[in-house]
Amino acid sequence: MIGILASVIDGILIGAVYGLAAMGLTLIWGVMNVINLAHGAIVVVGMFVLYMLVSALGLPAYGAVPVMIVLGFVIGIGLYWIGVHRMIGRPELMSLLSTFALNMVLIGLGTAWWTTSPYNVQVNMPSVSWRGYTFTGTHITAAALAVVIAGLLYLLLYHTRIGKAVRAVATNREAAELCGIPTTQVLAMAFGLGVALAGVSGTLIATMFPFTVLSGEAYQLKSFVVTVLGGLGNPAGALMGGIALGLIEGLATPFMPVSWIPIVEFGLFVFCLIAFPRGIFSFTKA
Amino acid sequence: MSALLEVNNISKRFGGLQAVDRLSLTVNEGEILGLIGPNGAGKSTVFNLINGVYPPDGGSIVFVGQDITGGPPYRVARQGIARAHQIVQPLGGLSVLDNCTVGACFGRQGLGLVPAREVAREVVDMIGLGDRPDMLAASLTTAGKKRLELARALSARPRLLLLDEVLAGLNPTETEGMIETVHKIRDSGVAILMIEHIMRAVMSLSDRIVVLNLGSKLAEGSPQQVADNPEVITAYLGDSKLLSVAEKPA
Repeated sequence: MIGILASVIDGILIGAVYGLAAMGLTLIWGVMNVINLAHGAIVVVGMFVLYMLVSALGLPAYGAVPVMIVLGFVIGIGLYWIGVHRMIGRPELMSLLSTFALNMVLIGLGTAWWTTSPYNVQVNMPSVSWRGYTFTGTHITAAALAVVIAGLLYLLLYHTRIGKAVRAVATNREAAELCGIPTTQVLAMAFGLGVALAGVSGTLIATMFPFTVLSGEAYQLKSFVVTVLGGLGNPAGALMGGIALGLIEGLATPFMPVSWIPIVEFGLFVFCLIAFPRGIFSFTKA
Repeated sequence: MSALLEVNNISKRFGGLQAVDRLSLTVNEGEILGLIGPNGAGKSTVFNLINGVYPPDGGSIVFVGQDITGGPPYRVARQGIARAHQIVQPLGGLSVLDNCTVGACFGRQGLGLVPAREVAREVVDMIGLGDRPDMLAASLTTAGKKRLELARALSARPRLLLLDEVLAGLNPTETEGMIETVHKIRDSGVAILMIEHIMRAVMSLSDRIVVLNLGSKLAEGSPQQVADNPEVITAYLGDSKLLSVAEKPA
């Protein structure tokens, strides 16, 4: 019994990081109705930023977190102008294709640079032992940072001027523009924020698990499950959805072979789409 | 009286339709200028040109000595021109108070969040939404949404307010209330350019009226001058509301 509990707690810790990744996806959707198919590739960028900073430059592992937030924001704004801006307000297929193209370009560049072999960053954090069960230090730290970053996003969206502008643009872009909000800049900034969140979640994942240039796809798919659980376009729901997904993974792991986990996850995904199309944790659209 | 807004010879063509044709008009400080005309005369297009929603094909728009021709809309808003729409455009996912806070934050004064909320609260009270500041904009009634349009526009502390049929769709009691509110706004020193179809209201509210037909100016003058103008009556022929006003002995 206690074994399951430990597995569940570890699942929740990892789930918080899934939630953070999904917040990036859902924020972009909520503000500009674009499903960012380059999401997974950006998670991978976050992983390799950790690798470069720690292995090549010798920075402390968690020093990569603020670096990635800033870098992700800059990369996001760049990607917005390259591949997203002209697709705003066009049919959704257009932005799906253009972000998918960005995804392929990023993965292609990554493969040329780092090949597809696995990388691992050794991060030393003291583990916490409890009744003979050990909780990995990196998992606890990653979850704590994910919750802190999610909290900061909440403060930004709900208690600052910029947040008001983002939410105004999300509900009615035309009206927001006529209120004096430079909506194009706000869209670019929101995309930058979404990318920063996805990237930093990649950085946190890379402190816990080995990764390759192709790891992004798995996390992108998990983000889709999480956003469907949490309600698409709802950042608070995304964190809850992430934790729920982590919990389910933790709960299922002791009982079935690992290869069955995706079947459970995507079974749930389909079930949610049918039974709760607006998400289980859906409050109001942010 | 000094000119606040000067529209000089603006034109706009949509495909084969000349929506606005070399139109000039002036709004003076502190006045209410009514813009009337039959459906399709180009009234809303004039607003969109002033706002910068689209650039005019020709002509210029000068506001407080600054050339604002062609927008972008957010910059025009920051210069001090706010607008309430014919089809209400609430920020549905935000509360009434937040809608107005956004208006104040990004309006002419560009306030910080805390002073913006003060202004918003003040305007919400003045406009008669003080009893439901935390209600989501999307769940207001039509009359409530119309008031919210006005409140959000005023929160920007504009010098000129563009009102696009704020009376449309209101019942007589609500109309009375809204007319009173428009008077209050003018008394606070904000100039108003209003499009309105309810003739009784536009005749009583406006200091001057510009009549638009097929994109160009048909007549201009005091409400009585405009109502007595035979060309205006012809353009409106069949509109009994205007005729009844026009036939009223002076």
